[in-house]
Amino acid sequence: MTTLTLPPLSLAARRTRVLGVVRRDFAALRRSPIRMFEILFWPTVELVLWGFVTLFLQAQKVPFVVSFLLGAVLLWQVLQKASNEISIAFLEDIWSRNLLNVQVSPLSSVEYLVGLVLFSLGKVAFAVAVMAALALGLYGFGVTSLGVGMVPFMGVLLVLGWSLGLVGIAAVLRFGENAQVIAWSLVFVVQPLAGIFYPVSVLPAPLQAVSWFLPASHVFEGMRTVMAGGALPWDRLAWAAALNVGYLAGTLGLFAWALRYARKHGKLSRFGD
Amino acid sequence: MAILQATHLLKRFGSVTAVRDLSLTIAEGEVVGLLGPNGAGKSTTLHMMLGLITPDAGSIKLFGMELAQHRTEALSQVNFAASYVDLPGVLRVREVLDAFARLYAVRHPRRRVDEMIELFELGPLAKRQLMALSSGQRTRVQLAKALLNAPRLLVLDEPTANLDPDAGDRIRGLLSRLARENGSAMLITSHNMREVERMCDRIHFMSDGVVVAAGSAAELAGRYGAEDLEEVFLKVARG
Repeated sequence: MTTLTLPPLSLAARRTRVLGVVRRDFAALRRSPIRMFEILFWPTVELVLWGFVTLFLQAQKVPFVVSFLLGAVLLWQVLQKASNEISIAFLEDIWSRNLLNVQVSPLSSVEYLVGLVLFSLGKVAFAVAVMAALALGLYGFGVTSLGVGMVPFMGVLLVLGWSLGLVGIAAVLRFGENAQVIAWSLVFVVQPLAGIFYPVSVLPAPLQAVSWFLPASHVFEGMRTVMAGGALPWDRLAWAAALNVGYLAGTLGLFAWALRYARKHGKLSRFGD
Repeated sequence: MAILQATHLLKRFGSVTAVRDLSLTIAEGEVVGLLGPNGAGKSTTLHMMLGLITPDAGSIKLFGMELAQHRTEALSQVNFAASYVDLPGVLRVREVLDAFARLYAVRHPRRRVDEMIELFELGPLAKRQLMALSSGQRTRVQLAKALLNAPRLLVLDEPTANLDPDAGDRIRGLLSRLARENGSAMLITSHNMREVERMCDRIHFMSDGVVVAAGSAAELAGRYGAEDLEEVFLKVARG
């Protein structure tokens, strides 16, 4: 062991490696104005689109629509971005043919994922802050109307988004680069089932049964309850958090299995060929 | 103590046996070459040594530790460069080296990055994005990255494939000098026979996943009645 490097299993070394992932991804973002633009473009388009729908429904005297729809758009972005950003960060290592360099470094899988999660957290926070400011400026909607529930709502959606992102990464490790489409689109499977823009009661009974096993459904139902003047439904949030713990543990297991599979079948060596 | 000790490695991909009963030991400071035609199993072997591919049978010990159980400790003392691997093109040279210095938990990353920039004469390129560099310049950055942690084992897969003869010659000289000074061991694959002759203490010839001959360049040439390593290569490759 040389004195040039920290003891590899020390806390300081682990922290240095995790921050190395974050710094690298931040530097890549800083050097790529197109990526910065992309972080804000789609959320802004969606916000503007739903904002106009909201204004129209408001003119039709439909109650609560302003807060319901704009709140839903903001929270949906937390889920979508948390899922996509973690997948994109991994895919960028494949696109730049850098995955092998990362995989032969002493960076452990856990440290790599923690780095990706921390960086995605920063991007989500940035995008949501900009959208919240736009929602306030354009439509007079303040996220504070979600009350104290905003923190657990966003927390549940972030963790669910990371779980979905991990499924996307596991799919790419298992099936190769062609499975990128899963990484992009998996989160959209959640969209119709989670009652984002309408109550879950609108869904047919079999789909409602599925919906209650999605943590996001409880967040969006809870959001509507709070905005209609009701109390924060802690029981729903507790159920959503419990589901999240189960899903996160399951997807971490799936990721570990997919990585073992990729190493066994030589798939890591072939990425970027 | 052996830096690397691989014993009876076996790797199959479906019905294809990529590596069969391969054993290899590398001592401190030793430079070992893996030669063979395309598809001989060289890269699969290197990737098993780096933990990218899990062998179906056999064991790999790095610095006396089982790689499968001590991945982080073992890989912190190894580094790698290959002609078919790239670094994030959007980053500047200094940013790439800084990021990898941290991934290898280098104590003083900035100081070390400065040393590598000076060693590989990357000063004028330090603020340029990798995507704007020539392939030769990118290779120098790859090699600078590969030496950031002063590895005890440096694994190089066709390291100078993208370099012109002059740049290749200078890099070979630099790598040999660093190996001597630091006592680093190297495991190299290359299709450049002169490179292998010049750099390697010992050479393992692979064909169809099996080591068919091993020894120094002179020993192999004598054994096959050949004038040089290229002739040995042709004789081995053509059976």
